[in-house]
Amino acid sequence: MSEPDSAAPPSRRFPAGRLVLAELRRFVLIFLLASLGIFLALEAMPEDPVSLRVKNPDPARIAEIRESLGLNDPWLVRYVRGMGDFLTLDWGDSLITGRTVAAEVGRFLPATLELAIPGILLGTFLGISIVLLAHATGWRWLLQPVRGLAALGLTVPIFWIGLLLILCFSVWLGWFPVGGRFDFAYPAPHGTGFLLIDSILQGDPEAFRITVRHLALPVFTLALYPAAVVAGTLEARLGESFLQRLVLALQARGYSPLRIWGKHVLRLVSGPVATVIGTQAGALLGGAVLTETVYSWPGMGRMLVDGVLNRDVFVIQHGLLLVVVMALMVITLADFLSRRLDHQLNQMGREDNA
Amino acid sequence: MDRLKRALLFFALGGMVLLAGCGKREGDSGAAPNAFIFARGADAQKLDPADVDDGESVNSLAQVCEGLVGFKQGTLEVVPVLAESYEISPDGLAYTFHLREGVRFHDGTPLNAETARFSFDRQMDPDHPAHFETASFQYWQNLYSAIESLETVDPMTLRFHLSEPNAGLLGALASFPAWLVSPGAFEKYGQEMIFHPVGTGPYRFLEWRPSEAILYERNPDYWGQAAGFERLVLRSIPLNTSRLSELLAGNLHGLDGIQPSELSDIQTDPRFQILHAPGMNIGYLAFSQLSGRMQDPELRRAVAMAIDRENLVRLALDGYGTVAAYPAPKGYLGIPDDAGPVRFDPEAAKALVAAHPEWTEQPITLATFGQPRMYFPDPQRFASLIRNDLEQAGFRVEIINREFKSHLHTTRRGEFEMALLGWIADTPDPDNFLSTFLHSKAAAVGSATNISFYRNPEMDTLLDDALTRTDPAARAALYRQALDLWARDLPLVPLVQADQIVVLDRHIGGYKLSPTGNHFFGPAYWKTDDNGQAADE
Repeated sequence: MSEPDSAAPPSRRFPAGRLVLAELRRFVLIFLLASLGIFLALEAMPEDPVSLRVKNPDPARIAEIRESLGLNDPWLVRYVRGMGDFLTLDWGDSLITGRTVAAEVGRFLPATLELAIPGILLGTFLGISIVLLAHATGWRWLLQPVRGLAALGLTVPIFWIGLLLILCFSVWLGWFPVGGRFDFAYPAPHGTGFLLIDSILQGDPEAFRITVRHLALPVFTLALYPAAVVAGTLEARLGESFLQRLVLALQARGYSPLRIWGKHVLRLVSGPVATVIGTQAGALLGGAVLTETVYSWPGMGRMLVDGVLNRDVFVIQHGLLLVVVMALMVITLADFLSRRLDHQLNQMGREDNA
Repeated sequence: MDRLKRALLFFALGGMVLLAGCGKREGDSGAAPNAFIFARGADAQKLDPADVDDGESVNSLAQVCEGLVGFKQGTLEVVPVLAESYEISPDGLAYTFHLREGVRFHDGTPLNAETARFSFDRQMDPDHPAHFETASFQYWQNLYSAIESLETVDPMTLRFHLSEPNAGLLGALASFPAWLVSPGAFEKYGQEMIFHPVGTGPYRFLEWRPSEAILYERNPDYWGQAAGFERLVLRSIPLNTSRLSELLAGNLHGLDGIQPSELSDIQTDPRFQILHAPGMNIGYLAFSQLSGRMQDPELRRAVAMAIDRENLVRLALDGYGTVAAYPAPKGYLGIPDDAGPVRFDPEAAKALVAAHPEWTEQPITLATFGQPRMYFPDPQRFASLIRNDLEQAGFRVEIINREFKSHLHTTRRGEFEMALLGWIADTPDPDNFLSTFLHSKAAAVGSATNISFYRNPEMDTLLDDALTRTDPAARAALYRQALDLWARDLPLVPLVQADQIVVLDRHIGGYKLSPTGNHFFGPAYWKTDDNGQAADE
């Protein structure tokens, strides 16, 4: 995506309407490309999901089941039908469990969101506050773990950090549960599928406490990656010269560090940071596979991985399409927001230079 | 600036104290818990005994459902369960079951010949409303095909008529596809009955939280000995490390599916007991007859002689298992209790390889897979140990590693030279291994379980004949002949029979490992220590 060039005439009005149209066009285009990609990948899969489900397949019965599922049709027919099914929310059944894919998603998506939303919020908060704190106080060592995490390639260390956290806080100290979403000795709240919301709706403080205890470690683990990326982006942006001049100018006026960094600087750098947060949130919506695995979390990541391992075609197809749509929505929104913010920044930067 | 720093430090410390305060250690006491919580590596797939084949689904059903006959706890001896007694006609063509009086399914439906036959009718009759479109009913084709019709002799007597005698049928009727579900479940739930198992067993199904746990409660009206716990929870925790952590943190009373090498921490922990016993499985090395080279029996023999199977048990199973002498476990009808015809003879193998330079022009491929299975807890370790042995004998070996389903796909098509795979038995009958591995009817490209694609009419005749004999001695003699043919042609080398391993809290009593590999938790109960001391801390 092309950022508005800072050399563009500042007088031009922010073209909101045109921008929305352009974003929409891009959204549809990417969705079509992604769906085609998913279908071609499924098409390239040599294994027959129906006969692999059973240990001792009977060829005649397998053929009947394939026919009843429409798996024998040419791939273009299945693609068009699949897209129609996706848009009309008729997602078919899982070959493995026999539950409808919609029911599976309805169960696993709230679990993932309940993890991803606090995760991205905490990650953003940690990332921004560490960097601003480091600058405001001059404690540059605060940035070391962020740089270290970024340099380590992130995924494997986070898996490992998750295990370490479990060992320390669950096995030794016993402060938090090892995994899972809820206790099995206590009746789980029902309703929206979001246990935090359900326990509030049912006025059950004990259920709320149990949910929070189960969320604590996985949310913290999940927050590490977005925190590192947000911090990295912010840190890079803060290195820009006009910001450094601005800080000097504000310091000269005798403003407190809290006011300089927490208000003025933060507002100026929020554009690109919003983009990064959007991308991170988009990625987490598909379920953070490693975090969900370590904490036995029944979320989208596990659903999709199990789906792929079992060649559960309809789960893969509609699950992935849904993830694509959600990620695109978040990223588009973030992008839209960041352009607005960046536009302001450009104008201010210009005024500042003038 | 200093004030800011001091305030921040204060906040950080305060936060940590707060965090520490809000966590609370669950009390571990020796008192009997309300619920027995057990964890395994995967969740059940469906809860319909007629349409599952994975161990976890069967284990989930084993608490809820029972058959007309079953296996005596901890053995493979067939005993009456929901039938009070049974008779087999002298010609072996009629099996008559006298049902137990006063038994009710969990939904209140009384057990009688009509309600019992529902579970068989729906599998047998393609037009039955509960013969669901996408269910495979694979076992009906396979284990119960000899059943021609069912007859309701009187309200409490059910008779099976066979088209030909089938010696494996009684064992098959004790196995999970023949467990009874209530016809009331189908009336109430329709197609959804596969998520709501209604049986007669010691525990009643309560709730399924997919990928999390299945919850059960004690059946207060159980006809037998009441279950030992108010609640039963079967959790699914995919990562072995996490499952072990849950156990060590005191949140579980038992688990399975961990590898022998991971037991070291637990062996020295007095809080736990480790149970292990041979499972009904064989891990083997197959040679595909569809690949040109492996049709040479001399080559197959040389490979077999080069592999040190004792070493596989020692290093790849950490001693938790035995060498498989025959392609069916020891103790099965007709399977001799000796070391078998395959001998480890590296010198002879070396000599054979030296005499056949054409064998080593191209490396032989060995196909293996990633995910652990019961028979191979670490398939890649097996593959590299075998490669090592074969290279010692002068072979060149290339390992091809695939994800399990891809591996299954290629092996069922015979597209390999050598492949590692295994079989977990459905019924404790030699036929369930020998026909699976060696009968030509199991060698259809794409759906083969005879992945060697060994086709020998003489073998087929022996196996078919053995199945129709009702005299065990005559059957055993036929299986001996079949094993002689196998030893002569060696289409596959049985490698190991892996132990099933279960870790339980030391307070759990009454539980016995079943040779079927399934967990029956009904008899498990909590025993308090003599000194009443808690196991933990």
